[in-house]
Amino acid sequence: MGDRINRRTTVYRPYQRHELGFFRTWEVMAGNIMDARELIWQLFKRDFLASYKKSFMGISWIFISPLVGILSWVFLQKTGMLQPGELGIPYPAYVLVGSSMWGLFMGFFNSAKETLSSGKALVMQVNYPHEALLFMQTAQHLANFLITFVITIIVLILFGVIPSWKTVFFPLVILPLFFLAAAIGLVVSMISVLSIDFDKMVNVVLGLLMWITPVIYSEKVDNQLVQTLIAWNPLTYLVCSARDIIIYGRLYETPGYLFCAAISLLLFMISWRLFYVSEDKIIERMI
Amino acid sequence: MKGLADCNKAGVQGSAIDNGEMVLSVKHVSKKFCKKLRRSMAYGIADLTRNLFGIRPASTGLRKEEFWALNDIDFALRRGDVLGLIGVNGSGKTTLLRLLSGIFPPDRGEIIIRGRVGALIALGAGFHPYFTGRENIYLNGAILGISRDEIDAHFDKIVTFSEIGDFIDAPVATYSSGMRVRLGFSVAIAMKPDLLLIDEVLAVGDLSFKIKCLNAISDLLGTAAVIFVSHSMQLIARISTRIMVLHGGSISHHGCDVGAGIDHYTSRLSLSGRKLSGSGKATVSEVMIGSAGHLVSADRAPSLNYGGDLVIAFTVELTSSVKHPAVNVFILNQEMYPVAECFSENCGFRVRAEPGKSRLTVKFRNIPFNAGMYSVGVIVFDVAARNEIALRADSVATFQVNYSTRSWSSVILAGEWEQREIV
Repeated sequence: MGDRINRRTTVYRPYQRHELGFFRTWEVMAGNIMDARELIWQLFKRDFLASYKKSFMGISWIFISPLVGILSWVFLQKTGMLQPGELGIPYPAYVLVGSSMWGLFMGFFNSAKETLSSGKALVMQVNYPHEALLFMQTAQHLANFLITFVITIIVLILFGVIPSWKTVFFPLVILPLFFLAAAIGLVVSMISVLSIDFDKMVNVVLGLLMWITPVIYSEKVDNQLVQTLIAWNPLTYLVCSARDIIIYGRLYETPGYLFCAAISLLLFMISWRLFYVSEDKIIERMI
Repeated sequence: MKGLADCNKAGVQGSAIDNGEMVLSVKHVSKKFCKKLRRSMAYGIADLTRNLFGIRPASTGLRKEEFWALNDIDFALRRGDVLGLIGVNGSGKTTLLRLLSGIFPPDRGEIIIRGRVGALIALGAGFHPYFTGRENIYLNGAILGISRDEIDAHFDKIVTFSEIGDFIDAPVATYSSGMRVRLGFSVAIAMKPDLLLIDEVLAVGDLSFKIKCLNAISDLLGTAAVIFVSHSMQLIARISTRIMVLHGGSISHHGCDVGAGIDHYTSRLSLSGRKLSGSGKATVSEVMIGSAGHLVSADRAPSLNYGGDLVIAFTVELTSSVKHPAVNVFILNQEMYPVAECFSENCGFRVRAEPGKSRLTVKFRNIPFNAGMYSVGVIVFDVAARNEIALRADSVATFQVNYSTRSWSSVILAGEWEQREIV
C-alpha cells in the first residue's frame, strides 16, 4: 500500500482557478496538454478515421473536394468570368493558394469553436482537460489541410509557378493565424454553450471579412474604399503573408504582419486564460 | 457527522479493511443551479464577463431563480467504506457525483480527494460505434486518464472480465447494450481507483454480470472507498457499509445503520399513482390497510413488522353483467417487481356476484417480506367471461415493512433447519 499513500491529493473549491496567477495559467494548461497527449491522439484517431470508416471510397474523399475546388477556379478564369488585377502569376494559382489560406484560418476558427461542443456528451460524464479538445480539433483540421496543401503545391508547379524555398517557414508564418482564430474560437466556444446568437454573429462577420481580404482578387484593386478596408483588416496581413511566402517568398507587408502577429498572440493568451477560469462554470450550463 | 468514522461492517465483504486513511473529505459543499434557461444564459455571460476582468462575484448567495441543488453537504470516507447514496429523482445524487469527479466546481465548501477517482457515471464514455472493442478500450482509457502502458498491462484482464471474447475485434456498433456496459465497467475497474463513484450503471447488466461487478467492487474495498447510487434497495443493502439519504439537495439522513437509512428513505416515498384499467364492470374504493385491528386509510402507508399480519379491506362494486367474480390481490416491491399475489379462487373463496357494493377483507399472517416499501394492487376478473378483467387497479395502497437484517431478497423465509451427524 506504500505507493498509494503518496498518491496526489486533489482539491476542488469555488473559484479555484482564479487563484492561479495570470502567467501560471499558460504553464498549467501547457502541462495539461502534454499530459493529455495520449488522449489527443486517441480522439484524433477516433474522429479522423471514423469519419471515413463508413465509406467505400474511404480516405480518397480528402483529395476529391480540393480538386473540385481547383477545377471550379480554373473554369471561372478560363471562361473570363473573373477579371483579377495584376498578379504576376496565373490567376487560378493565386486564388487557389489564397483561398486555401483563408480556409486554413476558418478551419482553425471552427476547430476552436467546437472545443466544448465536440465533446459535449463526454464533458458531462468524465473530467478531463478540455483544452485537449482544442488541439485535437486543430490537429484534425491540419491533417486535412496538409493534403490540400500538397495538392495545391502540385497544381502550382503545373501552372509553372515554382514555390519559393522560403516555404519551409510556412509553419511559422501561419502560427499567428492559429492564435487569432483560436482566440476568437475559444470565446465563441464558451458563449455558444450559453446562447447561439453570438456564434451566428461571428460567422456572419467572418464571412464578410473574406471579401475585404485580398485572396480572390489582387490588393491593387481600383477602389479607394476597398483599399482602405483591406489596409485595416488584420487578416489581410496574416492570410496574405501565408500565401505570399509560398508564391513570392516574402511576407505580405512585414511591419503590418508582425504587428498583427503580436496582437494575435496577446489575444490568444487572454482568451486562453479566460477559457481556463470560466469553462467549468460554463459547462454546468451545458444542457 | 463525527463519530461515524468507523462503521465498517467488519468482515462482511470479506476483504481487508484499512482503518484510518481518509480518501474523501467533503466539507460544507453547496452547489446552485438556475431554473430558467434564459436567465441561466444571462448569469453565464455575466460570470464570463467578470472572469475576463478577474473580478469575483460579491456574494455566493442565490440570485433570482437560482436554487441550491446541493446544500451544505458534509461527510468523509475512508478506504473500505461503501456509501450507499439514495434519494428520489432530483435530490442531488448525480450532481454530487459530478462534483466529486470534478466535472462541476462547487459554489461553496471544499472537496479533498486523496488518489485517483474512478467515475462510473456513464459507462463507456466516448465509445465510438465504428471502432472495434480493442480500439475503444484504448480510447476509453485515455479519456479516463489511464496511460497506454497501464492499459497494455491490464488488457487481457479487461477482455476476460468483460466476457466479450472474439467480439473484441468487432465494431462496438455491433455490440449489445449489455456488452457495451460490460466493456465500460471492465475498463473503469482496471484503473484501480482510490475512490469509485457508481451511478446506477449496474442496472443495465444481466444478473450474472451484476454479481460479478459487485464482487469486483468488494475486491477493490481493501484499497478504495466507494460511493454507490442506486434505486434498488436490495443492492444498496447488500453492498453498503453506511448510508446517506439526500432530500432536496440536503442530507436528510446519514449513518452506519443501512437499514435505518433505507427505512428513513422509504417512509418518505409514496408508491401511489393509482392507475385503473379493465372493462369497467367493477370498481374498488375505500381501501384500508394495516395490521389486524389497526386499519388505516390506504394513503397512510402503515409501517408493519416482518412476520406480522397484513390486512387489506376494500369495497367492490360490480355490475350485473359480472357472473362469476374473482379477485386477485398482488404486491409489488419498490422496483415494481411482483413479489406476491393472492387469488381468491385458489384460496377456496368464492366472491359472490352481487350487483352493487360489498366489502371484501383479506388477511395475510406472518408476512415474510424484507424491509422496504410495497405497493398493493387489485384485479377483479369475471371467470364466467373467460377471465375478462373487469378492473385492474394498481397501487391502491402502500405499506412499509420493518426488518433489522438486510439482504437481497424481497421475501425472507423462516426455515426449519436441521443438522444430523453422518456416521
